Amino acid sequence: MELRPSFQIPALIKSLTDVVLPAVDPANKLALEQGQLVVGMLHLMAQRLPLQYRYDRHELVSYVALSDQLLTQAATITEAAAARQALTEAAADARALLARAGAEPAEIEAANSLLRERVGALITAAATTADAAALRSINTTVMTHAEAQLLRERAWVALQGWEGPAAALPAVETLIAR
Amino acid sequence: MAAVLDKNRPSPEWIAELRRRFPCEAEIDRVLTRKLERRAGPPYAPVSLAQLQAGTEALLKTQLATPFTVRDCRWLSGGASKLQMAFTLDWTPPGAGAVSTPLVLRMEPSEAITETSRLREFQIIKALEGVVPVPPTYWIDARGEYLPYPAIVYGFAEGVTKPSASSSGVSGVGTFMPPQVRETLGQQFVDHLAATHRFDWQRADLSAYDRPAPGTQALEWALNHWERVWEEDANEDVPLMRLTMAWLRRNMPPVDHVSVIHGDYRLGNFLYTEDDLQISAWLDWELAYLGDRHEDLSWCAKRPFGHLAEDGKTFLIGGFLPMADFVARYEQASGLKVDPLRMRYYDIFNNYKAVAIVLATGYRAPRNGKTHQDVLVAWITGIAYSLLDELRSQMAEVL
Repeated sequence: MELRPSFQIPALIKSLTDVVLPAVDPANKLALEQGQLVVGMLHLMAQRLPLQYRYDRHELVSYVALSDQLLTQAATITEAAAARQALTEAAADARALLARAGAEPAEIEAANSLLRERVGALITAAATTADAAALRSINTTVMTHAEAQLLRERAWVALQGWEGPAAALPAVETLIAR
Repeated sequence: MAAVLDKNRPSPEWIAELRRRFPCEAEIDRVLTRKLERRAGPPYAPVSLAQLQAGTEALLKTQLATPFTVRDCRWLSGGASKLQMAFTLDWTPPGAGAVSTPLVLRMEPSEAITETSRLREFQIIKALEGVVPVPPTYWIDARGEYLPYPAIVYGFAEGVTKPSASSSGVSGVGTFMPPQVRETLGQQFVDHLAATHRFDWQRADLSAYDRPAPGTQALEWALNHWERVWEEDANEDVPLMRLTMAWLRRNMPPVDHVSVIHGDYRLGNFLYTEDDLQISAWLDWELAYLGDRHEDLSWCAKRPFGHLAEDGKTFLIGGFLPMADFVARYEQASGLKVDPLRMRYYDIFNNYKAVAIVLATGYRAPRNGKTHQDVLVAWITGIAYSLLDELRSQMAEVL
């Protein structure tokens, strides 16, 4: 899926900077100021988006550590028994979540990209075979995969309106549910 | 993990490998190679009307022996590929009196959603003057010596691309043509396509076009062209595209009559005058080449370039004619047959080409900030997935 923020945000910044803001009436100070702030906010998003997941995971590690320390220190405070119990449960959930939070989004994107490339190379290389049965089998597999893949991608960009409501695309959330 | 090739900084070895793997017409090879060699360079920098005016004046000084004035410069909108500036030239053409001529400067950005040759575009428009309505061509800056990027100057044609009261999406997609214009414009739509395909290109000055041998050479060059574009520009590979190209190469139909192919013949790429419903100019010849007429026939029949009739069932090509009527009129006007098998082949070819343009180049050019409207090009990338799904359905029928 190409339409992701790392691709979209720089295009938004360039359009605003090169075309839109220079055309704003200089007398409209409110519009100028807000336009410049939009550009500034987009720059901040572009810079921080690749770190967002790592930041949140780091914060969670830090809060789990803080929770552990506080639970130890408040172990004998009877007035905090209910709060201690609630925090114990939340910290356990967070620890379990951290155990699943392994690879970074950029690593997953890179792995997808590499697999796409190698799959493509295999398809091209296999196309020259004289083994008709193997070729038919490969064709069927690729076509089946394409159907599900394209349904996800079409659903991802449905808001753009390329296909209209008649396409009745499912919500992408339902297609990528575990 | 193994590194994926960095297409944003192409190495000379990779460029050489692509040129070897995908031999295509010399001028197309030149512009694609130039694109890659420039890719790691700076992004597109905004160009002002004053800069374009100065560049146009510099170009005209090399072409005109008498005094002239470039005035009333203004931007023209429309299209996703090139910058266009309208202006008026006060000048004295050779052998004539002083005149004021409305003109258009059409210039490339640093990288476009379709990387093409201004020389080819200039030559084909000039060759077709008097054959179909085209704007008169005047001058060319083929290598960007006077203007920031390569450009041509041609006559300003009066007219609209869609009814004034009609709305449409980007680049004319989704335009509705009302019933009262369909017959008159639809017949011209067919006649001009027939005339283009019957045009005797052998005697025209088309030095920037390689002349294909009979058989499949024209198609092989075209497949190499678009597969090379896919390889050069695609970010994520798409298995369906690989499968499709393998099928296209295994099933190449020979070309029975080599024609001038417009390459983007459709609603949105011609102007017409609303008072008399006459097509005044066919535009956007940048993808023209010598090949099989079925490419144009299939392309103009694509769903985004037409709409349903009032019965809610009949698809109208270009918003004008049902397929059977369109084919009958075309065969009558051209004397050339429409082969359903080749139509199906070029339906697949055209979707491959369309996806290469919008998903590969449509990603790569704005990724590197190379166009004057990155946000529009990036937006268009989204249409690739419905095109791919149509391609998937087409492939399911032939595999």
